[in-house]
Amino acid sequence: MSIQARTLRDTGVGRWGPLSVAAGAALLAIVAVGIAAYSQQLIHGEVVTGLRDWGTQGGSPWGLYIAFVVYFIGVSFAGISIAALVRLLRIEALQPITRMAELLTIVSLVLGAFSVLADLGQPLRGITNLFRYARPQSPFFGTFSLVMAGYLFASLVYFYLAGRRDAYLLAQEPSRLQWFYRWWAAGYRDTPAQRARHERTSFLLAIAILPLLVTAHSTLGLVFGLMGGRPGWFSALQAPGFVVLAGVSGLGHIAVMAALVRWLLPSTREQIRPATFRLLGIFLMVLGMIYLYFTLIEVLTAGYAGHEREQELVALLLWGTYAPYFWAGTVGLGAAVTIGLVQGLRGSWNIGAVVAMGILVNIAAIAKRLIIVTPSLTHGSLLPYGHGVYIPTWVEVAIIVGLMSLGALAILAFSKLFPIVPLESEHAS
Amino acid sequence: MPKYAMTIDLARCMGCRACMVACKVENNTPEEQFWMYVFRLEEGEFPDTRLTFLPRPCQHCDNAPCVKVCPVGARYKREDGIVLTDFQRCIGCRYCEVACPYGVNYFHWKSPKKGQYLNWNKDAEVKERGNGETPPWHNPDHDRRYGEERRLTAGAVHYKGVMGKCTFCVHRVEKGLEPACVANCPVRVFEFGDLEDPESTVSRKLRESNRFRLLEDVGTEPRVFYLNGQPPTSEHRQLDAVKGGKKG
Repeated sequence: MSIQARTLRDTGVGRWGPLSVAAGAALLAIVAVGIAAYSQQLIHGEVVTGLRDWGTQGGSPWGLYIAFVVYFIGVSFAGISIAALVRLLRIEALQPITRMAELLTIVSLVLGAFSVLADLGQPLRGITNLFRYARPQSPFFGTFSLVMAGYLFASLVYFYLAGRRDAYLLAQEPSRLQWFYRWWAAGYRDTPAQRARHERTSFLLAIAILPLLVTAHSTLGLVFGLMGGRPGWFSALQAPGFVVLAGVSGLGHIAVMAALVRWLLPSTREQIRPATFRLLGIFLMVLGMIYLYFTLIEVLTAGYAGHEREQELVALLLWGTYAPYFWAGTVGLGAAVTIGLVQGLRGSWNIGAVVAMGILVNIAAIAKRLIIVTPSLTHGSLLPYGHGVYIPTWVEVAIIVGLMSLGALAILAFSKLFPIVPLESEHAS
Repeated sequence: MPKYAMTIDLARCMGCRACMVACKVENNTPEEQFWMYVFRLEEGEFPDTRLTFLPRPCQHCDNAPCVKVCPVGARYKREDGIVLTDFQRCIGCRYCEVACPYGVNYFHWKSPKKGQYLNWNKDAEVKERGNGETPPWHNPDHDRRYGEERRLTAGAVHYKGVMGKCTFCVHRVEKGLEPACVANCPVRVFEFGDLEDPESTVSRKLRESNRFRLLEDVGTEPRVFYLNGQPPTSEHRQLDAVKGGKKG
């Protein structure tokens, strides 16, 4: 068997053009600033952040770091859900983006873990004690076991297995990375028997992973939803809301990423077709609608029947201090849903419009994550403390932007090692 | 095994905040941290206003949300009811602080400053009188380990990046002494003792007085009982709140 459609050169593997080098260098520089910021935090403690104790200190003990733990883990939704959809429902149009989706899952889960470490006052103890003294009774336990370990491990296994066929094909051509492809293929030769076994394994893995998808994102919601003494958090809608918003931000990310790859690597245009974007657009629209509905119900319940503090928080979101974030989130999501609806009704889906939806929902998701974390801490006290303020410092911003760049860098580097779009459809033959 | 509890007689409290000072001296807590805090509250409209005071130590809840959420078991409840933080196990995630509805947790945001309040070494007179020896800058009892678990739990400023809060002065209680706030109150607002003992002052006071616990409906089952007063409502405004920690 030979590589029919595209040669190694067309996939961008091993080619560092001026654009890639410039992008890589810029990302590396941003990562360096992030590392410098984090070293400041390690030396002086978290006094260098804008975080403070709630209550008499009038601050917020959780802020940007936790908001982005939630955001990054939310983005990871994309990979597994797309992989599972492709395997279980045989959605061919999504097949070309499975690899980049799984890669996005792995990268964003690692970024989520780094954000947790950034938040910890004793990060080294965190690495050891979270395993040594793990307590399943803590809602945090799920974040480390189900999400960071189970979810990440499952994604890695999936990613590895799904890549073996391409690795085998690439190992046929002489290149500097031939040893790497041989290692990845690990004896896989794409015989009909092997192919059948591979299909079966992927199918079973997809079934096993699907429940993990819901539980992992729910546990993250429960970190907030189970806090009985915290108005604004204590809600049964918190867990399902997290699952849905995770889906929205993850799929939005993947839409933007797929368009970027399509634009930068012309050879992939025949694989990543408008039909791919149409499906992504439909999923985005439906999930966005569900989340808007959740928001409406949440505001109605808390505003109509909630106790005083609950109502105060609603007012704060609707027209108080946090209104800009709330409305950025709601309007962003609403706009994305509207773009989707218009396209759906006209029956024609435009790639640019789906990308716009992806960008809008991610801005919305970040805004939403911020107002899930802070308002209940600065204004959610049940005792007569004064209100708090939280303004992140440059250290926090630099660390978060540094992490994002690290993720982009990892994806860029991977795309130079391995085709980011599978060589040819697995189900085609 | 005793069952420790505290009563706070609100009819006696005059808001002098001596307990806050006693706590800081005893536990050597960093600036801006108040393991004991006294709300000075005002209600009503001029001229019909009323002042009330409400001391707020850690409530040492029986159903403590902070203990439940700690991912590593650093925050734990002893059999005698005292809720403590193991400073050597805490990873500094602040989940306990977020879960607690009373706002009693204080994070060590910066490196502990040794001798932050007492620095005898600079005091020539003290050195001279002590023949070159100077008293320690903090209570050496803080460095001992307490309870069956032998964990490092007393006092403040052991490490940066860990949580701290009121310990009911575990290092004093273990010696048979009262917590510093109880011992230093000029008008005996606080009583500390054993609920198992029907003759203890706390048991007697609880039988004899009107009582409430803070945020009873959150279900935390505090071990701190307030006597002869009313729980705070949203009508209460805080007067002269301490200004700590915040820039500007």
